[in-house]
Amino acid sequence: MATKKKKATHARRYRKPVKWPFWLLLMTLFQLSCMLQIYINGTQESMVTLFTVYGVYIAAEWIYFFVFGIILRRKSFEIELIAFFLTGIGLTLTTSVYPDRAYTQLVAVLMGMIVFIVMLWVLSDTKRVIKLRTPVAILALAALGITLIIGDEINGARNWIVIGDGALSIQPSEIVKVAFVFVGAATLEHLQSTRSLTKYILFAGACIGMLFLMKDFGTALIFFFTFIVIAFLRSGDIKTIFLVCTAALLGGLGILTFRPYVANRFQTYRHVWEYSNGGGYQQVRLLIYSVSGGLFGLGIGNGRLRSVYAATEDLAFGMVCEEFGIIIAFTVLLTFVALVVYSIRYSVAARSTFYSIAALAASSLLLFQAALHVFGVTDLLPWTGVTLPFISRGGSSMMCCWGLVAFIKAIDVRTYRRYDKIERS
Amino acid sequence: MKTLSRRAWILYALAALFVAGLGILFYTFWSNADDWAMRHANRHLYAGDTLTAAGSITDETGAVLAETVDGDRQYNDDRDVRTATLHVVGDSEGYIATGVQTAYQEELTGYNFVDGVYDVKRYGKGNDLQLSVNADLCVTAYDALGDEKGTVGIFNYETGQLVCVVSKPAFDIANKPTENINNDTTGEYEGVYMNRFFSGLYTPGSTFKIITAASAIDNISDIDDQRFRCTGSYGIDGGSVKCLGTHGTIGFERALNVSCNSAFAQIALQVGTENLTATTNALGFNQRYTLGNIRLAQSRFDLSEASQLDLGWAGVGQYTTLVNPCHMLMIVGAIANDGQAVMPYLVERITTQNGDTVLEAETTLGAQMFSESTAARLQELLRSNVENYYGDRRFRGLEMCGKTGTAEVSSEEGGDDPHAWFVGYSQREDLPYAIVVVVENGGGGSSTAIPVANEVMQAVDDLYGE
Repeated sequence: MATKKKKATHARRYRKPVKWPFWLLLMTLFQLSCMLQIYINGTQESMVTLFTVYGVYIAAEWIYFFVFGIILRRKSFEIELIAFFLTGIGLTLTTSVYPDRAYTQLVAVLMGMIVFIVMLWVLSDTKRVIKLRTPVAILALAALGITLIIGDEINGARNWIVIGDGALSIQPSEIVKVAFVFVGAATLEHLQSTRSLTKYILFAGACIGMLFLMKDFGTALIFFFTFIVIAFLRSGDIKTIFLVCTAALLGGLGILTFRPYVANRFQTYRHVWEYSNGGGYQQVRLLIYSVSGGLFGLGIGNGRLRSVYAATEDLAFGMVCEEFGIIIAFTVLLTFVALVVYSIRYSVAARSTFYSIAALAASSLLLFQAALHVFGVTDLLPWTGVTLPFISRGGSSMMCCWGLVAFIKAIDVRTYRRYDKIERS
Repeated sequence: MKTLSRRAWILYALAALFVAGLGILFYTFWSNADDWAMRHANRHLYAGDTLTAAGSITDETGAVLAETVDGDRQYNDDRDVRTATLHVVGDSEGYIATGVQTAYQEELTGYNFVDGVYDVKRYGKGNDLQLSVNADLCVTAYDALGDEKGTVGIFNYETGQLVCVVSKPAFDIANKPTENINNDTTGEYEGVYMNRFFSGLYTPGSTFKIITAASAIDNISDIDDQRFRCTGSYGIDGGSVKCLGTHGTIGFERALNVSCNSAFAQIALQVGTENLTATTNALGFNQRYTLGNIRLAQSRFDLSEASQLDLGWAGVGQYTTLVNPCHMLMIVGAIANDGQAVMPYLVERITTQNGDTVLEAETTLGAQMFSESTAARLQELLRSNVENYYGDRRFRGLEMCGKTGTAEVSSEEGGDDPHAWFVGYSQREDLPYAIVVVVENGGGGSSTAIPVANEVMQAVDDLYGE
C-alpha cells in the first residue's frame, strides 16, 4: 500500500507531456523555410544536395517520432525536440556555408541519432552499465593517449586524428566526453566507496592532463568542470570542491607563469577592438555582424560573418545571430538551460542515482560548453575556441552531443515505459 | 536520492548564472550595437572606408548630392556643387565630423538594433536624406567668398530651415587632393575638414555690440538719452579701449551705427560684469547646442577674471570672447523673430526606400532670447545701421537690418588682418531670412563682409522672395 502511494506521488511529478505532433510540425516548417532560404539565396549550388540533405533529415525526424511516439507509444519528447531543433540549425549553417560538406555533416547527424538510440539501450540496464564501466574508461584513456602520440595539430591544439589525407578527421576528445560522464556516473553504483572515488579521480586527472598536453585548454576546462559537478553530486562536500578548485586555479596560474605562450593566447581578452586585425579579428567580426543581424536576422545566406575563418565552428553563435537573428540565437542558448532544469526536476524521480548524476553531469557539461563558447567569443570571458553544442559544424562533436542528451533522456522513466502504464501502476 | 536532489541546487545556481550572463550579453549587444555596426570593418555597410550602404543625399530641390551606384559612392556632376556642399554632405571616411555622411551615417544606412542592416540587404542601400540647403545658393555663397577662408550661413528665422551653409576652404570630393592636404605648408588647406559654420569659433568684434546694446536696453533706463564722447579711444584704469574713428559726442543709436568702441566701452562699464554675463547666458553663451546629430562649437564669454579695462574690451567684442557663427545666426534670427529663437535645422527629411518617413524636420523653438520690447528696439537699431550708415544701396531692395564686425585677431607681434563679420536679416515679410558672414582675416566688416552678404541675399531674394 505504502509503495503504491509513493508511486502515485511520483507519477504526479511528471508534468503533462508536450503535444509533440504540433511541435514537430512547427519545427519541420522552420527547417523547410531554412531550406527555401538557401534555395532562394543560391548559396547551395547543387539542388540535389540541398533537397537530399533536408529530405533525409526531416524524414529521419518523422521516422523517429513515428517509431517512438506511435508504435512504441512513448509520450515525452522534450529532449528530442530540443536536440532536433538545434541540430537543424547547425545543419542549415553547414549546408549553406560549405555545400560540399553537407553530406558529411548529414551522415554525422544520422550517426549521432544512432549513438543516441544505442546509448539509450545501453543505459536501460544498470548491470550492463557496470560491466561496461572499466572497458569504457580504458578505451577513453587509450583514445586520448593515441591522439597525444599520433594526433595532428589544427589551430594550435593537437587534438585531431586525421585519416587518409583529411578524408576523415576525428576529434577523440569529443567522444571521450561521453565516456567521461558515463564512467563518472557509473562508478557511483558502489556508493561513497573511497576506492571507486579514487579511481575516478585518477581517471579524470589523466584525461584532463592529456588534454592539457594537447593544448586543448577549452576541452580540459569542460572536463574539469564536469568532474567538479560529479564530485560534488557524489560527496556533497563543498569544502573539498573548494579545495580542488583552488588547487586547480593555482595550477593554472603556475602554468601561465612558467609557460608564457599559454598566456599569449589570452592577450586579446577584453581588448579585441585593439587587435581588430590581429588576434581579435574573428571576435570583432562576430560582434559587428551579430548586431548587424538585428533581432530577426538577415536570412540564411545573407550574412557576412560566414566568410570569416572557421565561422561555422568557432563563431557559430555569431552566425546564428546574424542570419537567424538575436531572438533565435538567445533561444538556442536558453534551451541549454532548459536541459539542465529538466535534469534537475527529473532527478528526484529517477530510477537510481546513476541516472540522476549522469543526466545532471551531461546537461551541465553542455551548458558549460555553450557558456564558454558564447561568452568567450563575445569577449566577456577569455576565448578558448570551444564549439557550440549541436550548432557548430563537426562530426565528432555532433555524435558527442547526441550521446550526452541520451543521458538526459534516460533519467525519465517514460523513456523506457509507457506513460499511461506508469500512471496506472 | 533526496540528498542528491538537494545537492542539485548548485546546478540551479549555475543555470541562473548562465541566464544572468545572457542578460549581460544582451545588454552589451544592445548598448554597443550602433557603435559596432558602424565600424568600417562591417562589409554590409562599408567597402574599404567608404560608406556604400548609405542612401542618396539630396538638396532642398531634390538635386542629388551623393548616392551609391553599384557599390560606389558618387557625387553631384557639377564640380562647383561638390565643392560648395562638401561640408554639409561630408565625406564617407568621416574626416568631416559634422557632414551628414558622418553625423547621420546610422540614419543613412537605416541601421537599428531591431532590424539590423536588413533594409540595406533588401534595397541595396539604406535611407535617403534630404538636406534643407539649396545647392545653387551654396555655390553662390562659396564663390562670393572669393579667395578668402570663411563661412556663410543663412536660415529662415521663422521655420529654422538652413538654406545655405558653406565653409571655405573646401575641395572637390570626387578629386580629393589628398597629397596637397597632407603636405600643406602654405596654409591653403588649413582646417579644411572643419565646417566653420558649425565648428568654428571666432572673436565676434563689433557684432557683439548688438549684445552689449541688448543688455543696455534691459538694464539702463535712460540709455537713449545718454551722450558719449569719443576721442579715438577711451581710457580705463591706465589703459584704453581704442576706437577705429574719432566720433565726437554721439548718442546710443549713432554709436551703434558707427560702431564706436569708446561709447560701447562706456556702456559696458555702466551695464557691469553681472548684467552683461546674465545677458550672454540668456543668449546661450557657454552652452552646448545640438542641431539634430550635429554639435555646435560652444560660444565662450567669461568675465570672471576681467578687470574694468577687460570689461570695456569685452563690450566691443574683443577680450577672450569667442562666438560660433551658427550661434550668432540664431541670436540675430531671434531678434528678427521678436525675441524668440528658432533652432536651425540641416536635415529636411529622411525616408526609407519604400517611402516611409523616418525623420521630418519641424520647427523647434529655442529660448526666448530677448523680451519682445528689447527685440523691437534692436530691430530698429539694426535697421538704422543699414539705413543711416552702411546704406540701403549696398543691399538693393532687401530692406536689410544688420551689424558688421571687424574682429582684431592680431597677436602682440601683429600680423594678421582682422576677421570681417556681417550678421543681419531682411525685414521684408516675404523674406524671413537671416545671414551670417565671416571672412577670416578679410579686413573690415563693411568693406569685405557686406558685399558677400549682399550677393548671397540677392540670390535668396531671387529664390524665395515674392
